[in-house]
Amino acid sequence: MQNRRSYTIIGILVILSLAWMAFVKPEQERKKLSAEQGIESVVSASVEQPDKQGDGKFTSGLRKFWEYTGFRNATPGHLIMIIIGLIFIFLAIKYEYEPLLLIPIGAGILIGNIPVFIEGGTNLQIGIYQEGSVLNYLYFGVMKGVYPPLIFLGIGAMTDFSSLISNPRLLLLGAAAQVGIFITFLGALVLGFNMPEAGAIGIIGGADGPTAIFISSRLANGMNILADGTTVKNLIGPIAIAAYSYMALVPVIQPPIMRLLTNRKERLIRMKPPRVVTKTEKTLFPIFGLLLTCFISPGALPLLGMLFFGNLLKESGVTKRLAETARTSLIDIVTILIGLTVGASTQADVFLTKESVLIFALGACAFAIATVSGVLFAKTMNLFLPEGSKINPLIGNSGVSAVPDSARVSEAEGLKADKTNHLLMHAMGPNVAGVIGSAIAAGILLSYLG
Amino acid sequence: MTLLFSLIALQKFDPLAWTVVAVGIGIVFLSLFLVYLFFRYVITFFLNFRLRSFARKKGLDPSEVVTAKTLMSGEVNAAIAMALYLHLNELHDVESGVITIKRVSRNYSPWSSKLYNMSNL
Repeated sequence: MQNRRSYTIIGILVILSLAWMAFVKPEQERKKLSAEQGIESVVSASVEQPDKQGDGKFTSGLRKFWEYTGFRNATPGHLIMIIIGLIFIFLAIKYEYEPLLLIPIGAGILIGNIPVFIEGGTNLQIGIYQEGSVLNYLYFGVMKGVYPPLIFLGIGAMTDFSSLISNPRLLLLGAAAQVGIFITFLGALVLGFNMPEAGAIGIIGGADGPTAIFISSRLANGMNILADGTTVKNLIGPIAIAAYSYMALVPVIQPPIMRLLTNRKERLIRMKPPRVVTKTEKTLFPIFGLLLTCFISPGALPLLGMLFFGNLLKESGVTKRLAETARTSLIDIVTILIGLTVGASTQADVFLTKESVLIFALGACAFAIATVSGVLFAKTMNLFLPEGSKINPLIGNSGVSAVPDSARVSEAEGLKADKTNHLLMHAMGPNVAGVIGSAIAAGILLSYLG
Repeated sequence: MTLLFSLIALQKFDPLAWTVVAVGIGIVFLSLFLVYLFFRYVITFFLNFRLRSFARKKGLDPSEVVTAKTLMSGEVNAAIAMALYLHLNELHDVESGVITIKRVSRNYSPWSSKLYNMSNL
């Protein structure tokens, strides 16, 4: 089953690459050539012709209708993006890969890639990049980083930090996995991205969709101007799609790396069951967690502030209604809006570029490096821990903050080695620590590169 | 190998990149390590202190009081709670076992009454 999924995904990627080579690249080259030779596009000529030719009103009306249809304005790029959107919807329905995200994103890709009439700078106020359109207003939440903190509020209100409080050393696994962010940052620089763009790409290694959107909306938004006068590229769409795609592919990417880096003896390690955590501890965690982390990295305040605030709503026990709203209605509404608008922002001309391919490649490396560093750090910790307190390295992968998918992967791999060894509750510790860690890393990147 | 050379080149041209990496990794570890220390030692100390003072008030030996470190695992608590739940809800185990037939006397039963059926059309 797992192999079939992998083959399906690899097959889809190959088909898309071929389609890109066959349709989009020649189209881009043709446009470039036309621009260089100063030839007016055939399309604009056809728009102006009807009046000159003096056709009848009926024919002219029909021609105008045709010019405004999606069929007339479609390019191969639009068709490829629509196929990608359909694949997202297919993966969500058929394999249940993060359906809550892939369905809105897939639908958003379809909406964003319906070709509209844009010739001569016409603004029909329909597309997401057209000022005054409804989608443009909704996209404001992505561009200004409004949605991610609200998502964090909901995550905080639904997260139970008990496993982390009962065994706080698991926090360090959450830190170790963030190495992937910084190594990918270097990789992006090597591939020719500038510093803010590289920072935004690196955050894919944190495996946290909202954080990736938050950082890319600040660093790679297509508006910031660097000291040398160049404008950063708008990479929000590719980065968000890459982050969410790889989060959905966690069950495919992580297990081979985990098996490669651990031996059977290590996979059989049984961890001590977590102790009972008192209500006082649970209430104090968000308060002191916020103070300790945000005093060191204030850049993470919008994300961590909301995360711990949401958790305080939950653990205080006196704001049940607010916590209930944050973890249900609010997060659902924001998820719909963020998924739809991020999907719609991937218009063919913005998304189908060489940069997107590089971002996807770097994203895969980021996830792999994060998993490797998490597992290896768990093994290193075992060298110093006494017998009976050892950590099963299979929970090291959970340091990436794809909650709760990576913890589920730990559980599944643990059960493969020993049918009675349940690692889920232990893996949830580094998993939620990863959320905190990636937000801190995001704060640092913002403070240096923002 | 090419990547290695590129990284070396990166060091030559962009020292800020290395600063971001070094400080970034360091700060992430430092922040989470501080939270670890706080919850591993400070919070545990205060909880134990509270338990001991509670024990003293009740006239118990503080050394025998369960400290936060030695509190039972959630699994044990869940097993005890489940056993209590089963015990308290197994009401059928304590039934008398006496079966009685309650005789119901009825003055009038309309099941075969022609007059009753006619008047209720």
